[in-house]
Amino acid sequence: MGGQENYEAIPIGMDLGTLEMTLDEETVRNRTELVQWQAKGPAEKGFAPPGFTISQHARMKFEALPEMRASIWAKSEQEFLKPMKLGSKIFIRGRVVDKYVKRGRNYMVTDLETTDETGEVLLRSRETAVYVE
Amino acid sequence: MERAIKKIKIGTEIPSLTKTAYMPIDPNTRNVIHTDDYARDFGMRGALIGGSTLLSYVVEMLYNYFGDNWLYHGKIKVSFIGGGAVNGDVVTAHGQVSAVEPEEAGDRIILDVWLENQGKDKVVIGEASCILP
Repeated sequence: MGGQENYEAIPIGMDLGTLEMTLDEETVRNRTELVQWQAKGPAEKGFAPPGFTISQHARMKFEALPEMRASIWAKSEQEFLKPMKLGSKIFIRGRVVDKYVKRGRNYMVTDLETTDETGEVLLRSRETAVYVE
Repeated sequence: MERAIKKIKIGTEIPSLTKTAYMPIDPNTRNVIHTDDYARDFGMRGALIGGSTLLSYVVEMLYNYFGDNWLYHGKIKVSFIGGGAVNGDVVTAHGQVSAVEPEEAGDRIILDVWLENQGKDKVVIGEASCILP
């Protein structure tokens, strides 16, 4: 199938699966350095920088849609509910909730929820991406 | 700090945050929009910096302003516009208070936020808010 056919085949409601991630020192340090995060407050209190797992959302989409080659973020909506504790395990669950075509571009909307080991929600996300091909 | 924030007037600009945008280019990336050749064919200046990285620059500015309140009460909704950012762009996150709305847990401070490059072109625009208890 080509890019257009692949996009059209994505069902609204599609489960992106669950990503399990341990917020170990190396993982947090690598991402912190990558985004040049300098504020020391979160780490001093034993927390990861807010939003540091958001980059994993794209990874989940590409793993769930192996035929997708290129995608660009169009919109991002994030609600921070609780900090992520260093050393803890978190779970990100995602789902395709909408698709639409605007000005000839294919858009895909996903909802994602990040929880801790007790199931408490730490971060709610809605992201819209242009499905390029 | 929080007491000073509570007295804030609409229109106040919060301290900005400047970064030299950077994201390592991985030729084997799953999302080829993050490679020079593909991005240029797509009409961009080069490999696009990931949206989550640009978002993190804005979030760090907000964390610097709201402190740990952001970890529990922060919300952000942005659009990625223009030509995005490429490695070496000097990008600055800005925020300007647009409203203060009382909520049960405290006053929600609402800001227009944006990220602009060295040419003053906006690459991220949107709104963020945080409750101050």
